[in-house]
Order: sequence, then C-alpha cells, then structure tokens
Amino acid sequence: MLRASAAAEEAGVPSSSLVCEGFVGQAGTTSSGLGMPNLPLAMVPGHVDVQTNDELRANVLDVTVDDVIRNLTEQPLQAQAIQEPDPREILFEGTFEEVNRLFLENGWTDGLPIVPPTMDKIEEFLAFTDRLADEVIGRLLPDNREATIWNVAVNGVMAGCRPEYMPILVALAEAMADPSYGVEHSGNTPGAETLIVLNGSLIKELNFNYEQGALRDGFQPNTAVGRFWRLYLRNVAGFLLHQNDKGTFGNTWRVVLAENEDAIRDMGWTTLSEDAGAAKGENAITISRYTGGNVIVSVFGNSAEKILPYLGDSLVKHTGWELCFTVGLATGTYQPLLVLSPVIAQVLAKSGMSKRDVQQWLFENARMTAAKFEQYIAGYTNLVPGGRSLMEMARLGQAPKVFGESNDPQRLVPVVCEPEDILIAVSGDPLRTNCYLFIHNGMLGYTTPKGIELPDGWSEKLKNARNK
Amino acid sequence: MLRNEPNAYSVVWPRGEKTQDIAPLATRLDSLEGKTVGFVWDYLFRGDEVFPVLEEGLKQRYPKIKFVNYDEFGSTHGGDEHAVIAGLSDKIKMTGTEAVISGMGC
Repeated sequence: MLRASAAAEEAGVPSSSLVCEGFVGQAGTTSSGLGMPNLPLAMVPGHVDVQTNDELRANVLDVTVDDVIRNLTEQPLQAQAIQEPDPREILFEGTFEEVNRLFLENGWTDGLPIVPPTMDKIEEFLAFTDRLADEVIGRLLPDNREATIWNVAVNGVMAGCRPEYMPILVALAEAMADPSYGVEHSGNTPGAETLIVLNGSLIKELNFNYEQGALRDGFQPNTAVGRFWRLYLRNVAGFLLHQNDKGTFGNTWRVVLAENEDAIRDMGWTTLSEDAGAAKGENAITISRYTGGNVIVSVFGNSAEKILPYLGDSLVKHTGWELCFTVGLATGTYQPLLVLSPVIAQVLAKSGMSKRDVQQWLFENARMTAAKFEQYIAGYTNLVPGGRSLMEMARLGQAPKVFGESNDPQRLVPVVCEPEDILIAVSGDPLRTNCYLFIHNGMLGYTTPKGIELPDGWSEKLKNARNK
Repeated sequence: MLRNEPNAYSVVWPRGEKTQDIAPLATRLDSLEGKTVGFVWDYLFRGDEVFPVLEEGLKQRYPKIKFVNYDEFGSTHGGDEHAVIAGLSDKIKMTGTEAVISGMGC
C-alpha cells in the first residue's frame, strides 16, 4: 500500500495513504525505508474489520476525507536524512555490560545479551568465507539497507555463533535478500516465523542436532544460527516491534531443523533441499515462513494405509485462513511442511511409497468441502473480497481446474494447488511415532532454497577452529 | 576475570548502510476540483466499501472531481504486487490520474 504511494510520488503524482489507526506507527517507519518518511497518511479510526457499515461510513466521512484533502493539497515538510555510523568504524568502547546496554537501548538486540562484535571476532568469521567483506549480498526491505558479508559476520558474532557457521549465515542472508522469499512481508500481522532447514554434510561436521529434541533450543549451532536470523531481520532488514514488525502475536526465533539424512538415504528418499532444487548431497538451507504448527502425536499403524489418513486429517484440520494462499490472494503459494519422524517415514517407505507417492496421496485425500474452503477465505475472513465462488474463480482462470469441477458446495477440494506443495522433511527422535506439521504463510515468506559455499581449505580451517 | 578476558570491548555498528536516499514528494494540487483521482487498492480491509464512501465525501466538497477505480490498476498486494507496482507509473499516465489514494493498511 505504501509502496504504491511511493511509486505514485516518484511519478510526480501526490498520494494519500489510507491506514487504520493501529497501522499509523508502522506506516511511519516503512515510509522511512522507502526514502519518503513524510508520506502523508489518512487515518480511519479503529479497525475497519470490526465496524458496522454505519460506523465505517461515519469514520470515513468525519475523519478520513479531511485527511485525504489535506494530504493531496498541502505540501508536507521536507524530510531530512539522518546521519548514521560507518559500519566499519569503531562505534563504542566499553565493558561487556556497557556494550550490551548500548545495544539494548538502540534496539540492536533481541533482549538477550549479545557477544560484543569486536574486530578480532569479526575477522575470525570472515576467515570462513572467500568473499570480500564489503561485498553487497542484496538490499533488504523495509529499511532498504545493504546486506553485506561484513554485517553478516557482525550479527553472527552477536548471536553467539561460532566462526565456522559463517558459510551458512551467508547463505541465509542471500535467501533473505531473494525477492521470491518476500522479506518485506516479515512484519505482517499474523506474526509468522521463519524456519531454516539444513541439509548436507555440514549437519554432522558442525554438530547440528537432527534427532531427539529437534526444534528445541539446547544445541549451539541449531540455536545460534536461528538467533542470527532474527537479529539480521532486526538490524539489517529493520523489523523491530512497535515499528516495522506489527505481528499481533509473535514467536521467538525457530531453531534450525536439520534433516536425518542417514534415514532418508536408507529409504531412498530425497531431502527437502533436493526437492527444492539442490544437487544430491549439496550443503544447502531452505527457508520458509510458518504461521504455526502442531505435533501429530502417537501415529499408529504398520502400513501407509493405516498411517496416512491421520496425517491427512491433521493437514486439513490445521489449515484455515491460509487457504487464501492456495486460491485468492496469492494463488499457488501455500506450502505446508510435514516433518516425519524417521520411524514413521520408514513405515511409509516399507509400504513401497516414495516421497512423491506420499505427496500425491495427501493431495488426493486431504480435502475439505468447497463450502468450508470458501468460508475461510471470504466468510470468516475478508481476505478474498468480491464474493466469488471457487467454481467461478476456476472458470475465470484464477484457480486450478481441480477447484471448479462442479458447483456442489459439498464437493471435496484440495488444500494446496499441486501435490509438490506439500513439503516433507524427516527429523526428530528416530524411534518415536510423533510427527509435526507447519502451516505456511504463503507468498509472505515463500519457500526459498540456497546452496552453501564453503571456503578454500575448509577442512583445515574447521579442524583448527575445533581446537579453539 | 579470566587471564585473557579483555576489560573493554571496541565494537562496531551492527546495521547496514541505507540504499535509499531521501526523495522529494510530488508537488501537491491547488484544489481537487475538476481533478482525476485514482483509487489504488491492496484488495484488503474493506477498501471496496471505503472507496465509495470517500468518493461520496469528496464529491460533496468538489462536485467536478473524477475518479479512476481500483480495478484499473490491479491489486498492490498478493501474487502480482511487484508487477502492479512496477507498472503503476504507466497506468497513472494512461488514465490521466492526477492524485492517488492508496489503501488499505490495517
């Protein structure tokens, strides 16, 4: 909405941006990132979604109209640039406590103490990449700041990472800057959180946990790399609570999920990163943003036939408003992630099923009525306005044909557009029968893979680092 | 304090340089009377109800004001948002839009 206003201003046309009362603060910080901190706003009091027609009408006529006229006819004051520090210069010298106080007071930390980013520490991280410290990896919205090798190292130090994690951190910054991921949406109101999935030999080389207790903090690489992600979002992309991050409810950062590749190879399945396009055995991360999830407990059965209905039931039961990313708001971008414990994946494999077979089965059987689907996107919510049915959207080419096979509201439709949209990973306690389902935030954090580039002399460097 | 632990830490700034300079806003209009105003929408938060009320309120003050409806521009949020925003300047010219009202941020 503000990006559209900025585009109009750039084209020489004055704009007025309509915002509900609760969005005014975020609008100010987002406008700064767009280089127009003085973009004028027209407020609608309260939140429009809970107002009667009469209340909405009165609010718009009594308040918003005057704001719009002022926005379009009175020239706002010229904005001034704020001088910021040079990223490569020493900013401050002090004790551990003084450094942490400075970082906390300036919003540069998540509330926990950070490891002070000193030149010596940063150099240790830079030794684990062949790329130049000044290299610009990309530009991160909404603050419109440069992601560089240098500030990856700085935030990696702060997060409590070890220097040898640096190749993973660089890949994460590249993924964050990839336009297909959509980092600019990371402050949206559902408050979803990114999950990082790691594949490749680095899982064992760097001692990532991929078995019992996966997704729990307690292992340095899983935890510290997850924390890096959130610090980098804060310090470089610019997502701070009460500013650009307007999540109604949030999560703490998610620790890294590493797959159990021994189990995957034994079954002849592929890894998540291979499904996303990585070469077999390549070190890679895959990021995606999930609104939440739930554990699927005590999956019972010794065959695919017995296990799959429970998994399918969970997929349907936990998918609600997110269906606007299957059809409507950003069609075809909903990609839930099912994490199977190895013992459950093995039952499926022993039943002769490949991962593709499991995806196909879930696509064909994890279904809900068209009436329920429509209720989620345009009844319970107003996320797909216009009142069009799935049948009509399919007829107009706005939804895949599978959603418009009849006009019976009780017909069953899938919750994703393609079988491959149901992502599957294998991790967790190898001998427990629990699985986990992550519900996806669609285009507002789309599944994005990146290969991890190791520096020359990796093995020697790693050996030396282990001895420190 | 351990033997090798420093007493003081010299630290750097953890952020990145801004890539966007401050840009000037467009010159405002003297009046909205007789002007063409475009409604640009992200297809969220009851914009389809808010814009008609705005139109009514503005017409009361400026009887000769004209409007370009949001469906001329496309949704500024969702799967096509990058293309829609990239093409906005051209659409503004094509439709003769002289001011934009963009909603809804909630």
